Amino acid sequence: MGKWVGFRIKLVGALFVVFFAVIVARAFYLQIFEQKKLHARAKQQHQRIIPLNPQRGTIFDAHGEELALSINVDSVYAHPQEVQNVSGAAKALAKALALSPAKVRKKLESGKPFLWLKRQVTPRESERVRALDIAGVGFIQEPRRFYPNSEIGAHMLGFTGVDPKGLEGLELKYDSELLGSGGHLIYERDARGRVLGTGKHTVQGGVNGNSLYLTVDKNLQYIAEKELAAGVKEAEAKAGSIVIIEPHSGKVLAMATHPVFNPNNIRKFRPLQWRNRVVCDTVEPGSTIKVFLMAAAFEEKVVRKKQFINCENGSFSVGGRVIHDSHPYGPIRIEEVLKVSSNIAAAKIGKKLNRERLYSYLSAFGFGSRTGVDLPGEVAGSLRPPSSWYELDLASISFGQGLTATPLQVAMATAAIANGGELMEPILVEKVESPDGRLLHHNEPKVVRRVISKEVADYVRALMTLTTERGGTGTLGVVPGFLVAGKTGTAQKVDPVTGGYSADRRVASFVGIVPAEAPRLVVLVVIDEPQTSPYGGVVAAPVFSRVASQTLAYLRVDPNIEKKQDPFPAVNPEAVAFDAAEPLGEGTVVGDKKKRMPKLFGLSCRQVLQQMEESGLNIKIKGHGVVVEQSPKPGLPISFKRAAWVRLAPAG
Amino acid sequence: MFDRRLLTHFDWFFLLLILFVSTIGILNLYSATFSWKTYGQPVYIKQIFWLCMGIGLALSLCVFDYRKLRRLGWPLYFFTLGLLGWVLLFGKTSMGATRWIDLGFFNLQPSEVMKVALILALACYFNERSYPLGCSLRNLLIPFLLLLIPFGLVIKQPDLGTGLLILFIGSTILLFVRIRFKTLLFLSACGALAPIFGWFFLKDYQKARIYSFIDPERDPLGAGYHIIQSKIAVGSGGFWGKGFMHGTQSQLSFLPERHTDFAFSVFAEEWGFAGCVALLLIYLLIVGWGLFIAYRASDRFGKLLAVGVVCMFFWHVVVNLGMVIGLLPVVGVPLPLFSYGGTSMITTMIGVGLLLNVSMRRFMF
Repeated sequence: MGKWVGFRIKLVGALFVVFFAVIVARAFYLQIFEQKKLHARAKQQHQRIIPLNPQRGTIFDAHGEELALSINVDSVYAHPQEVQNVSGAAKALAKALALSPAKVRKKLESGKPFLWLKRQVTPRESERVRALDIAGVGFIQEPRRFYPNSEIGAHMLGFTGVDPKGLEGLELKYDSELLGSGGHLIYERDARGRVLGTGKHTVQGGVNGNSLYLTVDKNLQYIAEKELAAGVKEAEAKAGSIVIIEPHSGKVLAMATHPVFNPNNIRKFRPLQWRNRVVCDTVEPGSTIKVFLMAAAFEEKVVRKKQFINCENGSFSVGGRVIHDSHPYGPIRIEEVLKVSSNIAAAKIGKKLNRERLYSYLSAFGFGSRTGVDLPGEVAGSLRPPSSWYELDLASISFGQGLTATPLQVAMATAAIANGGELMEPILVEKVESPDGRLLHHNEPKVVRRVISKEVADYVRALMTLTTERGGTGTLGVVPGFLVAGKTGTAQKVDPVTGGYSADRRVASFVGIVPAEAPRLVVLVVIDEPQTSPYGGVVAAPVFSRVASQTLAYLRVDPNIEKKQDPFPAVNPEAVAFDAAEPLGEGTVVGDKKKRMPKLFGLSCRQVLQQMEESGLNIKIKGHGVVVEQSPKPGLPISFKRAAWVRLAPAG
Repeated sequence: MFDRRLLTHFDWFFLLLILFVSTIGILNLYSATFSWKTYGQPVYIKQIFWLCMGIGLALSLCVFDYRKLRRLGWPLYFFTLGLLGWVLLFGKTSMGATRWIDLGFFNLQPSEVMKVALILALACYFNERSYPLGCSLRNLLIPFLLLLIPFGLVIKQPDLGTGLLILFIGSTILLFVRIRFKTLLFLSACGALAPIFGWFFLKDYQKARIYSFIDPERDPLGAGYHIIQSKIAVGSGGFWGKGFMHGTQSQLSFLPERHTDFAFSVFAEEWGFAGCVALLLIYLLIVGWGLFIAYRASDRFGKLLAVGVVCMFFWHVVVNLGMVIGLLPVVGVPLPLFSYGGTSMITTMIGVGLLLNVSMRRFMF
């Protein structure tokens, strides 16, 4: 018996071991082989995942100042099933969050496991809700876009929606770079959908977006916007824009549009106010186009230096229409065409150039095609093909009517004059950096094409300096201490009702290159529908002057006119004081002291200009004809304190 | 009366094993029911109470010589049979089954008592008989009746789990009896065919459990829910588990019956495969030690009694674990020392007491 039972016990024991082994094998199968699958199922059962807003990268200006950044603010959510006294809670929450009590109540009664009560609340709202301490109501930090400088650069930066996708401007254009991937709010729920504990809410994942470094300088942007606002107000204008370009690189230093809006509170503004007029609006460039006309004419050698052009005393018939100059002139030197901005002369030069060549030069300067700036909604303007130009079209295009361009196109074309003849691609975004500071992309200056030779560009620029000199159309655009190459523009606007040119609606503009000898800036000022005066030389030039002088001072560009000669005392006494305070560089003093006023009597304007070029003197020219008076007298040293000028009177 | 030598032969190791598993069980219950907002005593405190009761009962069962039970075997068996009959007629119905007799402070479940009574009865029966040539079918008639009558009564309650356990326990004890080879073959064939016949006697809810065992996904929120949830909980634990109190499925109430029948799921989720293997080894050690007690018992009755108790323990563990990890259909069988429940604890501890009794009297003839 004993032996038998002993054997059976061992047998049963072995059987038991087999059973346990089967169970272990099964556990092994479930917990090792099926682990991933079952773990995923478990997660799916008890975790609810709420997508959170991604963090957007920061937009910095050229010096690393934040222009747009994401800051974390509270978003308020609710687990409606956890909320006890729904009607009371709804009332209190609605009050704290400035929502409609009915809506909050509806939300809380929805029976959903999770919902947002209000996203991105203000700190005060958040505090009020925290004070209520309602079970089932919680907070999670979500990034909210914040523009610390409010209006500054708003049109360029654009703005984002709540979600937060870029909706306008750089925010839209660089959305894919700026937008990080959103994290997730993960909370655990039990089998009945109840949320257990507040500690079970975790935020997972989420990658910050890349950062943009702009070429724009916040301070310059501020200067541009401030002066633009003042200029628009002064001219009682509808709108305006300013763009500042660094001509050699094509970098945009400032890009201002008026009226402004605050991207922090976008709902208060109308879409019209969001529009970045620098790239989205086209206007007829008006007389500023003459700069490029002249450049084309000199490049193609259809005009000779010193050549006379008859301005027909202010009225000239082309293609069955009579065109006018605002001031009648007789024959003038080709060099004075820009200075006096004669439409008749421009028409004649345009005709000499012919339509194909004018078209090809204007196209080469970038008219009729997008500049490729890093902004959404850029328009190309219109430059019709020459085959459709009638004779009158050729004439009017020659003085800037009958084609449209964005302010940026005009500025970039002018930058080509400023940098020696190369059309640059505008750069707005200097570089893109990853959140950990790695350089992802760097925008190098890019030459689109060479439009004209350096000689022609420099010569045209020299001619442009006459605009700001006595007798020029843009004398108000003078910048104390600097030589300005500028051009005024006054274009009639097309009346949207009649389709013809409006009698009183104008676009006044001034584009300037400063310092003219060694260009650092191209500044374009456009004033839309000024009421006080239609002329660019009157409403836009002073704005240019103020923007340019402040910009140059900010960039610490040394005023250089006093090194060669006195500025014109009549124009700006401030400049004199400024110059006097400026210590003179050594060497220049010795060399310059030897400079003496040449004898200029009897010379024509052109000859005086030639003299100026040869001697490096800057002599103010008044009137036209031949020199009848000069100051200082011939042979006398030119002082820094007083202007050198000549007065011209019609010969004979 | 009480021999002092008995104390030196007391099986401390076995008692420590039992206490060790019980402690793990209570910790596991603490974790499983932590998220409950209960009124009154928490479940694990109640379990501690039952454990103390059980230990007391086990120790008091050691006082007298188990051989005295030879006379108690039959009366207890028939008394319990009577109780089972009583239950069918006047028992307390709860959740669609009539299993309990309300004793005021305690709901007695006679089917649980029957497990012990049957072990005793079979031990008594085979103790008095020996079959030098092996058992024939006729020799086995009475043991089968002893087995099948309570089985039928329990099935009728209905309580398939306990019924089957009674059947398993009884059948395993028969293995210790020399049975003729032909008879054994015949019985094996019967055993294989029995489920097919049995099918027709099953209640709908029992059939649903079988269906859902075969394909749990056919009704994942109904009959299949327990199996699916238990598998998810166990499987998602992985190798090292999610950590004590960190099992998501159990803490978040996805796991049903996690303090009773599915307590092991909680353990498996939180301690992983490593924990499962460790716990299974301890259970195996208990079973093995029980068989060792049977092996060195001084008489046939002791051997049969010990084997019977070990079988009871073993089948509870195997059926419960098989159910929890999806190897067996869901039948309400608790895991001894692990699942919450007074009846289970008391039954188990009676068994423990009997084993301790047999063990400490191994040198007494």
